[in-house]
Amino acid sequence: MQVSEEYKTLVEIAEKTSGVFGTLGEADAVYVVVHANRILDKNILPGVDIQAEETESGINATINVLEGVVLEKPVHLCFGHLGDSGSQVINSNIFIGKGARAEFLAHCIFPNAVEFLHAMEGTIHIGENASFSYKEVHVHGPEGKIEVRPVSKVTLEDGASYFGDFTLVEGRVGNLDIDIDVEARGESSRVEVTSKIYGKYDDFCQVRDVVRLTGKNSSALVKARVVLKDSSSGRFLGLVDGAASGARGHIDCTEIVQGRAKAEASPVVTVSHPEAEVTHEAAIGRLADDKIEGLMAKGLGEDEAVDVIVSGLLS
Amino acid sequence: MKESLLYLDEVSVTRGGAQILDKVTIQVKPKEMTGVLGRNGAGKSSLAYTVMGLQGYRPESGRIYFKGKDITDWSITERAKSGLTLAWQHPARYEGIAVREYLRISSGGKADEETMKEALDFVQLDTSYLDRMLDKNLSGGERKRIELSSVYMMKPDLAILDEPDSGVDLLALGDITRLFRKIVDDGSSVMIITHREDVAARCDRSYLMCHGRIVLEGSAEAVKRYFLSQCRPCPDPDAEEFAAEEKINASI
Ligand SMILES: Nc1ncnc2c1ncn2[C@@H]1O[C@H](COP(=O)(O)OP(=O)(O)OP(=O)(O)O)[C@@H](O)[C@H]1O
Ligand SMILES: [Mg+2]
Repeated sequence: MQVSEEYKTLVEIAEKTSGVFGTLGEADAVYVVVHANRILDKNILPGVDIQAEETESGINATINVLEGVVLEKPVHLCFGHLGDSGSQVINSNIFIGKGARAEFLAHCIFPNAVEFLHAMEGTIHIGENASFSYKEVHVHGPEGKIEVRPVSKVTLEDGASYFGDFTLVEGRVGNLDIDIDVEARGESSRVEVTSKIYGKYDDFCQVRDVVRLTGKNSSALVKARVVLKDSSSGRFLGLVDGAASGARGHIDCTEIVQGRAKAEASPVVTVSHPEAEVTHEAAIGRLADDKIEGLMAKGLGEDEAVDVIVSGLLS
Repeated sequence: MKESLLYLDEVSVTRGGAQILDKVTIQVKPKEMTGVLGRNGAGKSSLAYTVMGLQGYRPESGRIYFKGKDITDWSITERAKSGLTLAWQHPARYEGIAVREYLRISSGGKADEETMKEALDFVQLDTSYLDRMLDKNLSGGERKRIELSSVYMMKPDLAILDEPDSGVDLLALGDITRLFRKIVDDGSSVMIITHREDVAARCDRSYLMCHGRIVLEGSAEAVKRYFLSQCRPCPDPDAEEFAAEEKINASI
C-alpha cells in the first residue's frame, strides 16, 4: 500500500468515528498522523513544540504546549496500522505550560489487526492553572486479538485541570489493559477520568484508574462505563485516595453484562487526611428490566431496546 | 364485548406466591377515558403491567383481548406495535439518551421538530428540554411529563397512564383532565390509574380495585361516591361482600 493511501484510509476512519470531529488537514490546527513507525503528515503551529523520532517499532515524541498558549482547535493525533500483525509502540511526554489550554484528540486505528500489540506509554505534566483534555478513541476491526496497553502518568500543579476520556466501542476490544495513574498534587487541581468500553466475543478488558489527591482542595471524578456481551470479561479497578485537606473524590462505575459475560468491579476509596472525603457508586449486573421494557412499550424489539440503552451509556 | 377496545376476561396473576390480580374483568371502550381507582397496594400497577405484558406478569388464568384479538401471549413489542402503550408510574431513567431521541423513538422514528415541540408544549415544557438527558438529573416531575409527551408522540389506540399526576405539580385537576381529554380527542382511548377519586370522577367510567380485585364498576361518579364513603378507612375484610351488593346498584 502506498503511503498516501495509508494516510487516506486512516484519515477517513478517524473522521467518521463516533461522531468525533478531528482537525486533520486543517491549516490552523495542530495534527500528526503516524502509520506504524512513520510520520505521514504533521502540522505544527506557533506555541506548540513537537519533537518526534521514528523508532524501530513506533514513535518517541515530546509535545510541549508553551506557557499561556490557548489552542482553539483540538490537537489531533492519529496513530494507526493497517496491517494484520505486528506492533506499534508510542512513547510520549506531554507538557502543558502554565496557564495553557489544550485539548488533544488521539485516534488509534487498527481496522485489520488480528495479532497486534499497541502500547502507549506516556507522561503528562499539567502546569499551574493549565487545562488539558485528552480524548483517546480506538477503532479496532471486527475480529482479532489486538493487545492494547495504554499506560499514563499524569501530574497536576496548582489550579490545573485534567480531563481524560478513553473510548473503545467500535470493533473488538481484544485484550485491553489501561493503566492510568494521576497525582493531583496542586492545590485546587481537578481530575476527571472516564473510560467507555464495549467488550464482545471473548474480549478481555481491564481498566485501572488511580488518582491520588495530595493537593489541598483537589478533586476527582473517576467514571467507568463498561458493557460486556457474549463471553467477554472485564475488570474495573478504581482507586481514589483523599490525602489532603478539602480533597473530594468520587468513583462512579457501571458495568453491564449480557450473555455469558463476566464483570468485576473494585472501587476502592481511601482517605488519609481527616478533612478529605471520597465516595463511590458501583452498579454491576444485567440491564434493568424496566429500562428495556420501557423502550419495548414504545415499539422497539428487545434487542433494539438493548442497543439503544447501551449506546446511550457509552456515548 | 365486541365493542371493547380492551377486554380482560377473569385475569389472575400470582407473584412471589401472592395473588396480586384475582379474576379481574374490565373493559375499555374506544374513545373513552376509563379510570381505575384504588388505594396503595390495591394492584393497579400490576394490572397495567399485565395488560402491557411485562415479564413476571403473565396471567395464570384468564385472557386479554385488544381490538378483538387475543394478545395474552404477545410480547410487549407486539402489543405496542398494535397500538397499546403504558406511561409508567416511575418511568425508567436512561443515561446518554436525550429527550429528542426518546420522543423520536416513541413516534416510530418519524417525528419532526415541530411535532416534538407540540408534544412538550402539551405537558407545559419548553423546547430546551429536547437536549436534556433522560438520566437522573431530570426531576421526577419532569421525567413524568416527558413520559406523557412520549404518549402524545405515539398516538396509540390505548394509553394506560399509571398515576400520571403523581409528582407532577403545577397541574391543577382541571389541567390534568384537559390533558387526558386532549389525548382522547386526538383519537386515543385512555385508561387512567389513580388513587385520587377526583381524577377518577372525571373519567367516562371507572373501576374500583381492592386487594387485586375489581370491587366496583360503574359511572365515575358512583365509584367516587362509593370510594369516599367506604374506602377511608377501607372496610376490609367485608369489602367484597359489600361491594357485591353495591355493584348491582352502581353498574351501568
Ligand atoms: N413480586 C411480588 N411478590 C409479592 N407481592 C408482590 C410482588 N409484586 C407486587 N406485589 C404486591 O402486589 C400488590 C399490588 O402492587 P401494585 O404495585 O400493583 O399496587 P398499586 O395499586 O399500584 O399501589 P400504589 O398505589 O402504591 O402504586 C402489593 O401489595 C405488592 O406488595
Ligand atoms: Mg402503582
